[in-house]
Amino acid sequence: MNFIIDREHLLAPLQHIVNVIEKRQTMPILANLLMVIKDEQLVLTGTDLEIQIVVRIKLDNMTAGTVTVPARKLLDICRLLPSTAQIKFTLQDDKLKINSGRSRFSLSTLPADDYPKFDEDTFSYQFKIRADRFKKALDKTVFCMANQDVRYYLNGLMINISNDQMKLVASDGHRLAVYDDSIEQQTGYETRIIIPRKGILELNRLLDDPEADLTIQFSDNNIRICINNLIFSAKLIDAKYPDFSKVFQQSFYPQIEIQKKTFKDALTRVSILANEKFKGIAFDINSDSLRISTHNPDREEAEEELLIDYPGEDISIAFNAQYFLDAVSNLDSELAIITIAENSSCCFIEDPNDERFKFIVMPMLL
Amino acid sequence: MARKIIHIDMDAFFAAVEQRDFPQYQGKPLVVGGMPDSRGVVSTCSYEARKYGIHSAMPAARALQLCPQAIFVKPRFAAYQEASRQIREIFRQYTDLIEPPSLDEAYLDVSLATACRGSAMLIAEDIKRKITAATQLTASAGVSYNKFLAKIASDLNKPNGIHLITPEQGPAFVETLPIGRFHGIGRATEAKMLALGIKTGRDLKKCSRELLLQQFGKVGNFYYHIARGIDNRPVNNHRTRKSFGVEMTFQQDIDDPELITRHFQDLLNKALNKLQQKKLVARTITIKIKYANFDLITRSRTLNSPLMTVTSCSRLVADLLKKTEIGTRKIRLLGVAFSSLEEQVQSRSGVRQMDLFA
Repeated sequence: MNFIIDREHLLAPLQHIVNVIEKRQTMPILANLLMVIKDEQLVLTGTDLEIQIVVRIKLDNMTAGTVTVPARKLLDICRLLPSTAQIKFTLQDDKLKINSGRSRFSLSTLPADDYPKFDEDTFSYQFKIRADRFKKALDKTVFCMANQDVRYYLNGLMINISNDQMKLVASDGHRLAVYDDSIEQQTGYETRIIIPRKGILELNRLLDDPEADLTIQFSDNNIRICINNLIFSAKLIDAKYPDFSKVFQQSFYPQIEIQKKTFKDALTRVSILANEKFKGIAFDINSDSLRISTHNPDREEAEEELLIDYPGEDISIAFNAQYFLDAVSNLDSELAIITIAENSSCCFIEDPNDERFKFIVMPMLL
Repeated sequence: MARKIIHIDMDAFFAAVEQRDFPQYQGKPLVVGGMPDSRGVVSTCSYEARKYGIHSAMPAARALQLCPQAIFVKPRFAAYQEASRQIREIFRQYTDLIEPPSLDEAYLDVSLATACRGSAMLIAEDIKRKITAATQLTASAGVSYNKFLAKIASDLNKPNGIHLITPEQGPAFVETLPIGRFHGIGRATEAKMLALGIKTGRDLKKCSRELLLQQFGKVGNFYYHIARGIDNRPVNNHRTRKSFGVEMTFQQDIDDPELITRHFQDLLNKALNKLQQKKLVARTITIKIKYANFDLITRSRTLNSPLMTVTSCSRLVADLLKKTEIGTRKIRLLGVAFSSLEEQVQSRSGVRQMDLFA
């Protein structure tokens, strides 16, 4: 087995694959990536058994073969070679020889036959979407996913497809992001899946070409997304996503419009003196002002007053400053629309120019 | 300056207390622990019983086979706790630096003690005398310049013995020691070391630190040092509880996964109640399984947020069980432990974050 390739063609695919591979392994071969050379193509595969990435690269100069090599070491070697380097790979017995200019490396290998197979079902559902459109939906939701919550179904992103509509939802229970968009095709089905957190974060990094057309296929247990010459596969979380619809079905106080930057700066300053563990800040809202205040166990205090025009009754409510800041920072327009439920059970944060996404933050009792 | 550490170890403690309180047991092979018709194990046995090959952690049924005339009694922890309290009172006459890892032993740092002209050997002899006077029980003492050697020394002239290992003798003494006599090297590690050709302290000393770290992980550092007679662990007189656990041994080995799940529910209930009483929360859960052949495994998981409910813990346990051989092997003991303990802050400060799905 041998082939010659330009460093620039190899580097990005290697980086994507190494991101998936876990630093600590249960099986040594999982630290390796699989190289298959056949039909004038180099096919690279990396997996942590939950996610798999496969990249195809066209080759001109090659003889066929298969092998697995330590992925991180291979990446580091390629990364640190000069940017215009051409790299020659040759399999000699059980060593992979790497030559480029005056540099020579010899990497250990493990047999390709031992590389674990990533099991996938037949995919019963499919839709297509442009990468930039899907990436925007991810960017507006993933920050709300839970991390290592015992409610394991929250450690992921829910995608609901209902004929030509797509809904993405992420929540750690304390806040929730929801994104609705059309996928401009009649799929004729309604179904929902939960993609695990690590998979979603990796997938988001793969969407760097805004014009790529994605083909998204899934079954009850697996998802596969084709992005140009790359295939991303992941196992799905086998659970029912909790019902979040009740939060929409209640009465709200009149909405409040605030300049986003002024609001964000005020929140940031007040949160300096919030209790480090709980980050609690209080909102006191009346007809012409929103007062944001906090204090901490050292009896330090902060207060900011923002002028607003609010026709409803006075409201006092408290939130985790960080959750509120995360939501406000993710708005694209210069205005933020804040709407609080009448029983003070939650707060909606919306963008006046884009109805596709909404953020919901649950209050704190101080 | 070298430290002066004494390790006091009561001789056949539980058995000795029983023989003291019930003179009819004196001079007889006595086993404290589970009953031979149950599936319990030997907790402690008298020296008379040890002659028949009975030892701690052996199934009681096996002990009966070895010595059919042995007397079996259940432990009376209240009596042992009382005796333990008496000996700790004696220790306090000499130093405040006392670390009792269990009821029947303690490490004392007497480096700064003034009694007996500061002689650790004389203090140890004094303590032994006072223990016998107060409790009619005997203890063995090890005197050395660190905990590791003091513990080994207390074992050398048992029962009612005393032994000194000086800083000059330490390194040479460790070299001659068979690897199985090292405290902190259990059966499994011993087997692994023997497989690596490490039979004695001398062999261990020849191993590079890198090799030990690679073979044994973090604890490799400890092995590297003790092979040279070095152990800088302080005598820790304010040990806080690091974990909390409950376990149960079954009358008959079980293998039905549903039954196992039900037992874990009970264990979780008990353990979480205990935590609640102590106003603690835990972030790490560990399950322990002893298979019918006494192979012991543990599996654990640490989260970012505290584990509060039986339901959430049950789910983690179910996940952890996937990494065991339940269903295929018979099981004799199940246990659950919580660690990464923290105080319950949330309820104290009254701050509460509302949850969408709660």
